[in-house]
Amino acid sequence: MKQTIGLSALALMLTASPALAQSNTATGTVAIDGQVRSVCILGDPNPALVNLGQISASSGPRTGKIDTIAPRTVTLPASFCNFAGSVVRVTTTAMTSSDTTSPQPGFTRAVNYTATASGWAVGTAAATSSALRDGTSPTATGTGATQPLPKIADIAVTLSNFTTPGDLILVAGNYSGNVVVTLGPAAVAD
Amino acid sequence: MRKLMFLAIPAVLVASPAFAQSTSVTGTVNIDGSVAGRCTFTLPNATLSLGELSLASNGKLDTSRVNGKTATLTGWCNSTAATMAVTTTQLTTGTAAPTGFDNRVDYTATAVANSASASDSSLTAGAGAASTVGLFTGNIVVTLSAASSPSNGLMVASGPGGYTGNVVVTLTPTVTPVG
Repeated sequence: MKQTIGLSALALMLTASPALAQSNTATGTVAIDGQVRSVCILGDPNPALVNLGQISASSGPRTGKIDTIAPRTVTLPASFCNFAGSVVRVTTTAMTSSDTTSPQPGFTRAVNYTATASGWAVGTAAATSSALRDGTSPTATGTGATQPLPKIADIAVTLSNFTTPGDLILVAGNYSGNVVVTLGPAAVAD
Repeated sequence: MRKLMFLAIPAVLVASPAFAQSTSVTGTVNIDGSVAGRCTFTLPNATLSLGELSLASNGKLDTSRVNGKTATLTGWCNSTAATMAVTTTQLTTGTAAPTGFDNRVDYTATAVANSASASDSSLTAGAGAASTVGLFTGNIVVTLSAASSPSNGLMVASGPGGYTGNVVVTLTPTVTPVG
């Protein structure tokens, strides 16, 4: 009986010893937090300028009218949004003559076209300008589908379908227009 | 004859102290005690809010938001052989990152106390090597460094405080076997 008691006491001591040591260990914690802002960045357009050159036919039955212009593509490389739920939007402004004088009947100072942005979400974002022959109402806007994930991609903007209102004869001069590409959250895209 | 008896009296007086000494006893109470090795944090928690983690220019990790940032805990250990170790957990959003993006920030945390330092990188699992911190009381300063993201890619956006991690500093006293 005496021996049994002695073993029990020893066992108790051996068990208690590590527990005592453990309880004397202390931990301190530094919690760390931070955040990342939502951001979209468009790559620099390449090329930055699309020069169509001579846009009117210089011979044949369409002399003076819009010539056939091949589609042109501008790339915005490594464009990205770091959040889910973004859209790309294109706003086209028709090409108009630098001469702002209202054209004579049978003439036009506006060239309409379609801008199509692809490579972001399913489908494309497209807008076709529909300026009048005097150059008024030159802008149009189109918004693509929502990209459901953060994404980095090259966005390709293709300019095509160059036309004039009523297929009228173009007033001589320099013509310019632009395409604005906007990449941002779907909720505030407009 | 009468004169001799008078001289014997001093002999009796001398014998008396000798008798008292032989009957004294002493008892001794030995006293002992012990102080367990112990470490305690008197300020065990701190929060390090790093704010915006990405560069506005390119959306990648802004390492200056992490490197050099410090937090201070306080505590003490009463053992000369006490050790200090650090365990880091990377900053993450807890969601998967699409290709080209990162949602994780790794770093090294270094704790300094009593002129001793211990560190750990979140790039590797588990705690860093323990250092002997000894007997001390005072600050344990935790400093972050070597911030990185897995692919140096674009950082996934989050809400405020959306990236979370932590640094755990462990102080361990000398363990003296009992018995």
